Amino acid sequence: MARLSRWQKIGLITLVALLLLVLGCLYFPVPKPHVELAPEKLWTPGGFPITNTMITAWLTIVVLGLLCYFATRRMKLVPTGLQNVVEYAVEMLINFTENVAGKEHGRKFFPVVATIFIFVIANAWLSLLPGFMSIGFWHGEGEEQVLVPLFRGANTDVNVPLALALISFVFVEYWGIRSHGFLRYVRKFANVGRLFSGVRQVMRGHIRSGMGSIFNGIIDAFVGLVEFISEVVRIVSFTFRLFGNMTAGEILIFSMLFLIPWVAALPFYGLEVFIGFVQALIFCGLTLVFLVIAVTPHEEH
Amino acid sequence: MDPESMKWIGAAIAIGAGALGPGIGIGLLGYGAMTALGRNPEARGPIMTNMILAIAFAEAIAIYALIVAILLIFVA
Repeated sequence: MARLSRWQKIGLITLVALLLLVLGCLYFPVPKPHVELAPEKLWTPGGFPITNTMITAWLTIVVLGLLCYFATRRMKLVPTGLQNVVEYAVEMLINFTENVAGKEHGRKFFPVVATIFIFVIANAWLSLLPGFMSIGFWHGEGEEQVLVPLFRGANTDVNVPLALALISFVFVEYWGIRSHGFLRYVRKFANVGRLFSGVRQVMRGHIRSGMGSIFNGIIDAFVGLVEFISEVVRIVSFTFRLFGNMTAGEILIFSMLFLIPWVAALPFYGLEVFIGFVQALIFCGLTLVFLVIAVTPHEEH
Repeated sequence: MDPESMKWIGAAIAIGAGALGPGIGIGLLGYGAMTALGRNPEARGPIMTNMILAIAFAEAIAIYALIVAILLIFVA
């Protein structure tokens, strides 16, 4: 055979790959993917169910712990290697936090915000490795055997985003109360000051100004109630934003893998990497923004 | 019509109509950000940060619609 040029070699390899693809699709039929929204329980030792997302969350914790241990083992003043990478990540996070929140608040908010970011992004990216959602146990018999995966991305379980949303909500309220005092912070939501002063004015005899104050007071109280409701609904929106993005991405990759194995899922893996990063940034960025709003001093009329 | 097909149609309508609003919203946000960037290229950092934040809010609504569609297909 004469020497093949580089392009001819590439063309030949592509043709062989396509032929193998077509033969594989014809002779090895693939079943439809089975998707479940709720995480599957694997074992229940002593009545406590252990789901596959729980195992993956533990794996994430172990991976992050090992990463930090190996990065800080022999620390040098001028960092090299793994310590350099981890310092780069920490520096990006603290720059982001201080840009949004100012210097002293930024340093205070950094632990919670950075933890949320690192946990979400570690969960999201770890779930893209091979072995997640493919290694597991077969449940059921005969025709209706279902593969229950051993590892499943922890962000696809509603409980993990819900836990993070609750943590962010608790910290927002805690820092708001700590920087304003309990009564002044509650007064932001139960804004009945003008209402009561209006009632007092009416009782003293100034009817017209009293009624005006009562009217404004009712509007203030209503606005305060709406703000309180929006604080609570924030938990729901955080949860479903993260859960929805992660679950939709996983189902998308599933469907693409079962459509044309190997090939169709490649651009979607890239999309998932990007979406994981963006969702982690969004979660921690929104937490940071709400923290800043909660601690800025309320301007007096 | 039997419930099976109604579920499929419902899922299609849920995500189809639910992605309209956020799509337009995100387009408007991009337009505003590009305009601001054109007027003041030095403020690139804050403009981009705030644009991404606002896009996340708008996209969350589309994700709610997607959740409803997924629930209809796989759970109901």
